[in-house]
Amino acid sequence: MKKILSLLLSLTLSIGLLCGCGAHGKALTEEEKNTIVIWHDKEDAVSSALLAELERLVPDVVVQLEYKSNLTEALKMVGNDPNAAPDMYFFAHDKIGVYAEMGILAPITDLIDRETLASSYVGMTLDAATYQGELYQLPIYFETLLFMYNRLYMADDQVPETTEELYAYMEQKTRGGHYGFVEQHSTAYYSAGWIHGFGGYILNENGDVGLHLPETIAAMEYHKKFVEWMPGESEYATVNTLFQEGKAHATIGGPWLVSSARAAGMDLGIAPMPVIDETSLPISPYMGVQGVQVLRYAAENKTEAVTRILEALMDPEVGIALAKVSGCAPAVEACYENEDVTADDVVMAMRETAEHTIPMPNRPEMDIMWTVVADLLVNINMSGQDVTASCEDAQKKAEDLIRKMQ
Amino acid sequence: MKKANTRKKYGTLISYLWSAPSLILICLIVIFPILYTGYISLTNMNVYHWFTYDVIGLRNYREALLVFDSGFLSALLLTVVWTVANMILQLVIAYLLANLLNTKGLRLRNCYRTLLIVPWAMPGYVSILLWKTGMFNSQFGLLNQWMEKLGFSPVRWLANDISAFVCCTIVNLWLALPFMITIIDGALQSVDQSYYESALLDGAGWLQRTRYITIPAIRPIIAPSVVITIFTTFKQFDVIYLLTQQAGAKTGAHIHTILTYAYENAFITNNYGYSSAVSMIIFVILILFSYVINMKPKEES
Repeated sequence: MKKILSLLLSLTLSIGLLCGCGAHGKALTEEEKNTIVIWHDKEDAVSSALLAELERLVPDVVVQLEYKSNLTEALKMVGNDPNAAPDMYFFAHDKIGVYAEMGILAPITDLIDRETLASSYVGMTLDAATYQGELYQLPIYFETLLFMYNRLYMADDQVPETTEELYAYMEQKTRGGHYGFVEQHSTAYYSAGWIHGFGGYILNENGDVGLHLPETIAAMEYHKKFVEWMPGESEYATVNTLFQEGKAHATIGGPWLVSSARAAGMDLGIAPMPVIDETSLPISPYMGVQGVQVLRYAAENKTEAVTRILEALMDPEVGIALAKVSGCAPAVEACYENEDVTADDVVMAMRETAEHTIPMPNRPEMDIMWTVVADLLVNINMSGQDVTASCEDAQKKAEDLIRKMQ
Repeated sequence: MKKANTRKKYGTLISYLWSAPSLILICLIVIFPILYTGYISLTNMNVYHWFTYDVIGLRNYREALLVFDSGFLSALLLTVVWTVANMILQLVIAYLLANLLNTKGLRLRNCYRTLLIVPWAMPGYVSILLWKTGMFNSQFGLLNQWMEKLGFSPVRWLANDISAFVCCTIVNLWLALPFMITIIDGALQSVDQSYYESALLDGAGWLQRTRYITIPAIRPIIAPSVVITIFTTFKQFDVIYLLTQQAGAKTGAHIHTILTYAYENAFITNNYGYSSAVSMIIFVILILFSYVINMKPKEES
């Protein structure tokens, strides 16, 4: 009896293990067509504000916001499986190239008229959301790095207007555990601002690598002297802790730093980026645009509900509500008529910086560039290797890896 | 005769049925991924052909072999040095600590045992980052606070190859010792005390007892765990990557094991076909490595 029972048990277990391997698929019901799943990776404040706005503007569409911490990887796995993939996702614009090449995204212009879009958005955001001529993202808000300073140490009239003034300040104030200025000097995202300020680039919109350009080399060479007055560690935690704890007088950081610095009681000042003396261009960091992308399956099968949500997201009220909770600058031009928005100095500083920012490249090749450029910066800034030779090596390596992507 | 044969066959069938659930599970989570990786390595699955990939034969392998350049060879050499250094240190330290734990009349034995196992209870990722910022950081790390108190200037421990290698080894020891100590501790307790008593009567010293009684007695017990640890050390990725090469937090040291090297030179391309080919070649290297390691005990027996 026992024997038979155990045999039965192992049989059921084996069958159970193999269950779930099977195909399914049928036409969508009306209810399913009216339910939109949106993946996101934002903090609770942002997602609940977004949900509240959507419930107000499109009450008859059921919206489900789902938090995914590994959104980018999850989309790669299930992007073309309608049973597992979301209908839309809310993320930065820099991954649209990857997903567009995979073929899982639908152009926004399939659903919304291009003319309407062009007239109502801050110009740069639509450029950022365009990959190979197609618009794949509906921008909601954008963020850039900002020059921030602690008024306890740096008075408003001491704020450097040029990089040479900044250098003089660093030379004078960096001592006894205090730093005049800190930044994540050896990461690609932060150094990009300096490279752009010299007219160079990491990757342009045609997918060309620009590490061997004379402009890029000049930027690396010039930036190196600033690194000497900064701590050797350049990762996020060290740099931000130094600034938050009042050990660094100024930094270049994102809007995400603002709330914690203010909560810690710092009298935080925000200033325009210093202008590089040699080129008369300001440090021009990358801009990231956060917005909504539509998956192809949803665009084809749930056209009506998706279109209504996109239209709702174009309402300036949504941009204003989200800008308030995220601290970022709204992408819809009309939001800047709102007094709460114009009164926010962080948002307005970003709006101004946006004039000089370069949208983060949205090409798939950028995944490689982050690592290659970080290696290059470490070689130059930390290991003291020759700038020109390192740049040329990095250029070769990047081109080689990009070739291997195909 | 025939009856006995069918009975035997019936018995075999039943045993397979009983172990079927676990066999299926092993196939699904161990065998299938290897075979699937092998299949993917023959295709052009990458960002540009994500869902519409074709079999392209051995082209990925031709590309993959180019990864195994001089950089890879030095990474392989470093991996071997890393494995050997870690294994020797682990065995020696674990053996000494386990011996201390087994000292006669030791008080609070269980308390020490628990303390020694704590690093194992923490997620590796957390421990590594704690070591990185709490110990080695040049601004806030404990080591540099001490250095400053002693009047030295702060050192960037993870910035040059040799000190970074030492730091990685220390962290790896911290993570791996609990396992070794537990195994050796258990093994020591299984040695028959009467051997020691007669050895003492014959006037054998500690060294002789260790050499002729303890080590031969515990060797068969700890051998499997040594083999397991050799593998985990050989394919160690987290310690070295998180301490020195984490994206956005590179420290300037250039120590690469074969896995971190393959990551930086292949896996970041998002080309799954090509990365799978690199993985398959590393897999073959590991199989060869395990074959070499397993050869020796067989000869002895």
